Amino acid sequence: MNEKNSQIILEEYENKFLYRKSKTNLNIEFNRIAFIFFMFVVISIIFSIQLLHLGSLKKDNEVKTLITKKNYRADILDRNGNYLVKSVSSIDLGINPTEVIDEKRLLVNLQLIFPNKNFSEIKKKLNKGKFFYLEKKISSQNFEKIMLLGDKSIKYEEKLTRIYPQKNLFSHIIGQIDDDNQGISGIEKSFDKELKTSTEPLSLTVDTDIQFLVREELERFQSIFRSKGSAAILMNVNNGEIISMVSYPDFDLNKREALKDLNFLNRASKGVYELGSVFKTFTIAAGLEANLIEVDTEFLNLEKKLKCGKSTIGEYDDKIPSDLTVEQILIRSGNIGSVRIGQRLEIDKLRSFLDKIGVLKTINFDIEEVGEPIPFRWGKCKLATVSFGHGITTTPLQLAKGYAIVTNGGFDIKPSLIKKDANHIWNKKRIIKEGISKKINLILRKIVSTKEGTAGLANIKGYQIGGKTGTAQKTITGGYSRAKVNTFVAIFPTSKPKYVMVVLLDEPKISENYIYKYRNKKGSYKGTPYNTAGWTSVEVAGKIIEKIGPILATKYMEN
Amino acid sequence: MKKVSLLIIFVLILATSLVKNSTKEIEDKIFALNQSIRSLKVEFGDLMLEYNFLSSPDKLIQYQSQYFEKELIKIDVMRIKEISEKNNTIELTDLKKMIKDE
Repeated sequence: MNEKNSQIILEEYENKFLYRKSKTNLNIEFNRIAFIFFMFVVISIIFSIQLLHLGSLKKDNEVKTLITKKNYRADILDRNGNYLVKSVSSIDLGINPTEVIDEKRLLVNLQLIFPNKNFSEIKKKLNKGKFFYLEKKISSQNFEKIMLLGDKSIKYEEKLTRIYPQKNLFSHIIGQIDDDNQGISGIEKSFDKELKTSTEPLSLTVDTDIQFLVREELERFQSIFRSKGSAAILMNVNNGEIISMVSYPDFDLNKREALKDLNFLNRASKGVYELGSVFKTFTIAAGLEANLIEVDTEFLNLEKKLKCGKSTIGEYDDKIPSDLTVEQILIRSGNIGSVRIGQRLEIDKLRSFLDKIGVLKTINFDIEEVGEPIPFRWGKCKLATVSFGHGITTTPLQLAKGYAIVTNGGFDIKPSLIKKDANHIWNKKRIIKEGISKKINLILRKIVSTKEGTAGLANIKGYQIGGKTGTAQKTITGGYSRAKVNTFVAIFPTSKPKYVMVVLLDEPKISENYIYKYRNKKGSYKGTPYNTAGWTSVEVAGKIIEKIGPILATKYMEN
Repeated sequence: MKKVSLLIIFVLILATSLVKNSTKEIEDKIFALNQSIRSLKVEFGDLMLEYNFLSSPDKLIQYQSQYFEKELIKIDVMRIKEISEKNNTIELTDLKKMIKDE
């Protein structure tokens, strides 16, 4: 069988051989050259296509080189390109006593390089035989001198150091990193991966000059009103860019301290407060949205006091008239009038409006330090208290967002600390009916510009400031304490809002010596007559806007 | 035909080697430039840091109190003027105009 097979193969080979032999040699050679030429053309085409492809790649699609070095962390800039954080590598120097050959010689040499060091202590450490750090963050000059000693026992470690040229100014926004280059709070934590891998610095929306002026005023008024702490947020109402966010007291990031005192809490985004009458604007906006009220809708025979369960709801101002329009309710900050509007709205409509503007649930923000509004069960009494801003909590950041939506024409915004590209397209999604903002803005302006309003101290010429005050007692277990949270939300300019500013004072006290200069009338007044937002946070907001206003008016003219 | 093909191949090989050689030279230049840019970038970054620190609002206020006797004053926005040029003449207009309800 095998023999037969081999015979068949031989025959086939013979035939093929005969056939090929009939062709000329020249033809065979030409085919080979043609084949090589063909292959060369194919390779050239592939190469050309590859070149064309590479040439057509857009800059954005270029593959970025990822740096995953242990000692790398991208810098952080403000909106104008100023450094907020800069990484520099530093060297820590240590000694391993087990590798020391000539101890005396080493100590003499080290004493020449570090004359101010306590060498009796170093000698003790050398005798213990355990590794120890001789000097941290040494200069490059000293490092060179040390290396020239050529002692094997001297060990060095390259470390990443973050430098914060603005010291305390952005402490709560930027946050801290640990010794292993891991972000532990603020932007350093939430953008940890990006900062470790991006070759470009991270640009924020904040403005250093404005942040400084806002902080300066908060610090000044901290000593005047002796508050436990304070916070301020300045945000663009049209795109949610945060230009300034300060929480006081703050801390110097360069000191790298472990913060244990709860007073260093970020009050602007993590502090959860009952903010009082600032919520009345939302109640009225919800009523307008549901077509249940108009600005001139009258509420007649309003009681001075209302009973709801065990609690009594009363007016702050006893002189408030019994007949009020919706506009007057907001201007005079009427509690009972707001309750009546809330009752007309009913639970579902008010709840869905508050949910829509983002004050009820935890906000999704660029830093992880965000507060969670305390959940509650809605009922008749809750509806009544929520209508005038009591029994409901939120953060100042969410309050700013809510006011931005209500005043910017009804468009949804997301508060942000990260600066978008110049080519970024802002998608505008309307969530509140057109026209409501105009009505609300006119009332907010009257709160500041008229005598009946509660925020006359913020009426600075040239800025068309509008706003709403909120004075609330702080909650304690089972009730309210005497300590207060005074808030003022300012919108300016009210004819076409651009900025929202929230100023919150945590537990302020009256000042006996502070001199108020009236803005809606002539004269001045010494001492704080009432511990209300109108006499505290409004004054602070007014002073801040007076200082930052010229910068906003000139620097951000085109924006 | 054979000669032409061989000539084309030879020319192509020569051109490829020449192009590759010049590309390599450019690549070397790019590398050298990148290296010098990198060191310049580091230097620029350090200088910017120094500038940002020395010109930070906190420092400027410190210098003001240290070297000047007069206090810094707030600018009234109503006094800020805008400069514009029309027909070779400079015009000054108010940045903010008084609005009715103010």
